[in-house]
Parts: sequence; structure tokens; C-alpha cells
Amino acid sequence: MSAEKAPPSGRRLRSWLTDQLGLEEIAKAVRGGQIPGGASLWHTLGAVAAGLFVLEAVTGILLATVYTPSVTGAWASVAYIQDQLTLGWFVRGLHSFGSSALIVVAGLHLLQVLLFGAYRRPRELNWMVGLALFGVVALFALSGYLLPWDQKGYWAKLVEATIAGGAPIVGGPTQKLIQGGGAFGNLTLTRAYAFHAMALPALLTGLLVLHIYLFRRHGHTPKWSLSPQDAAARAVPAWPDQAVRNVIVGALVWGVVAVAVIARHGAALESPADPTSSYLARPEWYALPLFQLRMFFEGPLEIVATMIIPGIVTALAFALPFLDRGRTNRPSDRRRVLAAAGMGLVALTALGVTALAKDARNPAYARGRAEEKARGETARRLALKGTPADGNVFRNDPMYRAREIWDDRCAGCHSLSGAGGEKGPDFKGYNSRAWIRGFLTDPDGPLYMGPAKIEKGMRPVSVMPEEMEALVEYVYAETGAGDVDASRAGRGRDLLSPSDCDTCHDFDGDGENDGPNLKGRGTQKWVAAVIADAGQPLLFGDRNKMPKFRGKLTPEEIDDLAKFVIGQKGK
Amino acid sequence: MAAEPPDQRRAFLKLVTAGVGALAGALAIIPGLGFLVSPLGRPTGGGARSPLRVATEREVKPGKPLRVTAIGPREDAWLRLERVTLGSLWLVRATDDGPIKAFSTVCPHLGCGIDFDDKQGKFNCPCHASAFDLDGRCLSGPSPRGLDQLEAHVENHEVLVRYQRFRVGTAKREPIG
Repeated sequence: MSAEKAPPSGRRLRSWLTDQLGLEEIAKAVRGGQIPGGASLWHTLGAVAAGLFVLEAVTGILLATVYTPSVTGAWASVAYIQDQLTLGWFVRGLHSFGSSALIVVAGLHLLQVLLFGAYRRPRELNWMVGLALFGVVALFALSGYLLPWDQKGYWAKLVEATIAGGAPIVGGPTQKLIQGGGAFGNLTLTRAYAFHAMALPALLTGLLVLHIYLFRRHGHTPKWSLSPQDAAARAVPAWPDQAVRNVIVGALVWGVVAVAVIARHGAALESPADPTSSYLARPEWYALPLFQLRMFFEGPLEIVATMIIPGIVTALAFALPFLDRGRTNRPSDRRRVLAAAGMGLVALTALGVTALAKDARNPAYARGRAEEKARGETARRLALKGTPADGNVFRNDPMYRAREIWDDRCAGCHSLSGAGGEKGPDFKGYNSRAWIRGFLTDPDGPLYMGPAKIEKGMRPVSVMPEEMEALVEYVYAETGAGDVDASRAGRGRDLLSPSDCDTCHDFDGDGENDGPNLKGRGTQKWVAAVIADAGQPLLFGDRNKMPKFRGKLTPEEIDDLAKFVIGQKGK
Repeated sequence: MAAEPPDQRRAFLKLVTAGVGALAGALAIIPGLGFLVSPLGRPTGGGARSPLRVATEREVKPGKPLRVTAIGPREDAWLRLERVTLGSLWLVRATDDGPIKAFSTVCPHLGCGIDFDDKQGKFNCPCHASAFDLDGRCLSGPSPRGLDQLEAHVENHEVLVRYQRFRVGTAKREPIG
């Protein structure tokens, strides 16, 4: 280099790298050789599937920077991604919708290979590697579905683990292996995560390298109508003739995925997994055919749908290159293979559509979905306040805390079920017209003051039915209800004196008497006052038997508890 | 296209391939970067908003710094924790009824935990040997500033401290979190 004039440094670096790495060979290998029969859109599918895998890998790594595989942190971290991080919903949506797109594109790729006869000699091994890749993609989907630890992931996985457990001999150990023990828990999640984010990517990468290597070794399979001479005459270089098609179709698929993610604002996130609920478990769309197939096999025959049929189909698919006796790649020479594949496709579609149609007609399904939607929205709203250490976002709801206080302090005497309390009124439907009517008709009944055993308690109101309705409306109006018939309530007020109510009750707000003052009775403020001290002169006075809670509960807790009791109206 | 020589056409196709590929890649990478940097500006809850009770006044003896922990609420990404250890601090007073000062145990150099050396009567950093006197002034070593003092006061014989974290490695004190 001393005497010669040094070439420009860019060229020097390039020639150094070329020398060190063998760039020429790499570039040649990446560009690929000639495509017999010319470039085509048919041949883009494999490359697009590989591109979608890259999208899954990149978005997966991004999600892994936040996601936490634990029963207390999984849902909260996904909700944080979904609702709090910038574009978190978008990245998570790409990962979820991208996996669906990958299944579709890989499926189309498989069909194209079937149609072209590209599984035939000398490509038998690559056909099998391709099927294995498809299986790995399915395992990705199955394991990834669980990770948010929401209702749909939890229940779908529970069903799958149980199905695996039903296999003869190996079933029990397999189920334990999946679950990380006898039941679902933290280890189920950490195992699924390690599998999904470490083992499967390594496995898929290895198989993909082998798949591409074998594909490059044997080249594209030209269309069946071309003779070898025609195909050779029409050959074009893969770079850029096929590459440009690959990249354009890839960009289109990417665009469709992105638009779908934006239109749906990302992937669904249901409420946190609740093992005590009765959730209508449904798998993702690609597993619906299997879900529906299972419906036809009851009891001990279930294994036919879950293992035997899928097992036979898989075995046949792997053996296909050796079963196909067609002389050429022409579809007319391979009628039986293509007919079987076509029937399989029709069967899958029919099963999937049947499953969807059945749910669409099922009102219980619609009701379940609506309940879950409401619960999910509540959970995600509460998660914005931050998740408590035990992962239970519902703890952020004051009514949840009120319910805990109720169970602790109130449930010993009162009931919410309509079965009647031990020592006090039942609050199922509290302050509804029916509840008030029941109280007035039979104040010492088992649902009302009966269990309290108050001496000389309230006498039943016995008036004409129409007058009773007016009195009920008056009491109803005092609770602060919104849908009051004002004229009827007014008539009720006029009836207080003729009906002898005013012997024991005042109704002007400051009069003390034997019974509670009826002004504002049943409002949240009134209920809070009763909880604080029901023995106040304006309330139950000397006859009261309920303990005071002022001093035992904070004013906020008493207010929340009152709100909780008021909330029983619609129950 | 048929009129163009294949070389020119292929050069164009290469350009299209590279361009479309780069565009699709960019459209995926930009949101990804947004996602990655999005949590960086959020509070990680190194500090408590309100003063925390850390000791009783009686426990702090003159000339004998007392190491205590600040326990309080913390927000950390999606978590909201009610009672966790936020950090430790030294309580120092010069005389029996003198004012109580609080210093963070976080060394302003590289963030190690400061010890108190009973024999020499000064604070020491075990990692890089910065030394500080009882007023938190840096006596020797690589620390760019003195110990970080925290707001402390006594109420009903209890020592209340507003716990805070500061950026380390800078001469100027900058609160974080």
C-alpha cells in the first residue's frame, strides 16, 4: 500500500469485507438463481410467510420488554401495553393479527404447493419440513393465546390442556407438563412463555433455514403446463424479477394487517382470568373447526375428534409425497390428491362456519359476550389507576371494598340473596317498589324487620290496593328515585294521616317519633346515617338493635357501604 | 415495458424492491421505537409525595447517625403498591435537642449505599471511598457533590421525611422519579 495510490476508503472496506466474509457467494446465495418458467405471484407466498414471521419476531421482542409471565402480573402488564403505552395497542395488535395472517398465508402457501405438485420428488423432505413449520406456527398460536391471562386465553388453554390430558397413557403426564403441576398457576404461564418466546422461535428459525436451504437446492416448481424445455426457455433471474413480486405482495399483506389493527384498535383483551366464572370458552378462528368437530363425538368417543382424526390427517399429509402415484405434476394426473385436499378444505370451512352460526343463534352466547365485554371494560378502566400487588384490579373499585366490609361486618345479620337475614332485613331489591310494597304489607315478615324481633314493631298497612300503590309511590319518591309518578306520590302523602302512618312516623325532616322520620328515607345519605348510628332519634331511636359503626368504619367506608346497599335495588 | 432493454427494466425493479421493502420496514420500525421509548418519561415512583414516618425523635442520638428505611406507596409501571421500601436514609443530629437532618444513603457518585464509620465519625462509600462529614459535605473521594439532604421535620415526637431520589454522577442535585 506504501508506494501505490490508496483506493477510496469505501472501496477498500468493501473489498476487505468481500475478502473476509466471501460476500460474493453470500450475495449470490441471497439473490438466488434462475426461476424456470418465469416469476409469478404464486411463488410469493413462502417469502411473505417468512416476512410475517419477522414481523412476529420484532413485535414479540417489543412486547417482551414489558410483558410479565406471572398470574399477578400478566394481565396487568398486557393492559398496561394495551391502554397506557404509546402505540402499545398497535404493536400488540400487529403481533396478534400478524399471527392470523401468518396462518392464512402459510395455509395458502401449502395449497399452492399442493396444486403445483411441488411436494413431489425430489422435494419430499421439504414438504415434510414445511408441514412441521406449519405445526410450529400452530404451537405458537396455542401458547401465545394464554399469555395475557385473560378470560378467553385462560379458558381456551384450560380446555386444551384437558384435551391433552385425555390422551391414552401419555395424557396425564403431558397435562402436568403443560400446567407445570396438577393445576393452572404461575408455572403454567412461565412454561407457556418460555415455550412461546424461546423454544419455538429457535425451533422455527432452524426449520425455516432448512426449508429455505432445501427450496434453494431444488428450485421453484414451474407450472405443470410447461414442458422442461419451455420452462428453461422462460427462465428469469429470481433477483429482481421474483423479489419485486415478493416485496409488493408482502407490503400489501402488511398494509391489510395494519389497517385491520387500526380498525379494531388492536387485539381484544378480556377481563382477567377468573377461575370461578362460567365462561363460554371459544378458541381462535383457526381452531374453530376442531372445536366444532368435537361436538359430534360425545363421551369416550371425544378422542376421535381431538386425536384420532387430526392424527390420521396429519399422518396422511406427511406421507403424501409417497402416496401420490401421479405420473406428472398436472392436476389431471393427481385427481385423488386434489379432491381429498379440496374436501378437507370444504370440511374445515363447513365446521368453522357451523360453529360461528351456532353461536350467532345462541342468545346465551350473546349474553355471555355482553357480560364479559362489560367486565373487561370495567377491569381495564380500573387498571388505569394502577394494579395492586395481588394483581386484582377490582380492588380499585370502592364497591369491591364495600362488598368486603359487607361480608365482614354486615352479612352476619343481613342478607342480599332474598333468603332473609339472620337478625335484620334482606336487601335484595332494596327500595324497589316491590321491596317497599312487601315491607308495608308485612313489616315483620322474614325479609323485613321480622328477624330483628323488635317489640311493638310496625303494624302492617292495610288499605285499598290503589291507596297502597300511592303510599308505595310516596315512600319510593323519598328514596330519591328518578322514575317517580309525582301525582300518585302526592296522593300517597295525603294518605299518611288517614292511614294512621303519622301516629308513629313524622315526615317533615326534623320530627322525632317512634318510627323513623320518612323524609329522605332510603337515600344514600339516610342509609349512611343508619350504618353510622341507627339509634339516632330521627331514625329508629330507642327501638334500634343494630350496632353503631361510627368509629369502627371511616366516613368514606360508611358512604361506600351505603352506596353498595343502595345498589342492591336492581338486584 | 417490452420496448425497454431487460437490464434497464431490472434496474428499475431492483429500485422498486428496495424502496417498497424499506418503506414497509420503516412503517414497522417507527411505531416500534415509539413503543420502546414510551415508558421512559413515566414516573417510576422513586419518591413519595407526602412525608413518611421513619423513626421516633428519641431514637436519634447526638453524634450517632441512625440508618432507617422509608416505607411508603410506590407506582412502578402498571403496579401500585401501598407499602414498600422506597430507600434508606441516615438521620443525624448534633445535640440532644438540636434539629434532625436526613441524608439519602445513595452515594451521589455512582449510587452505592453509604455506610457510617463509627471510629472516624464520618460517612464512607464502600465502593469508591468517598467520605462525607456529619453535615453531608464531601471530604474526599470522587463524589461530585455532598450527600443528598432530604426534607425532615419532627411532629408529635416522630421524624417525618419526604423521601426522594436524585440523579447520581452530577455536581448539581436533580430529583428523579
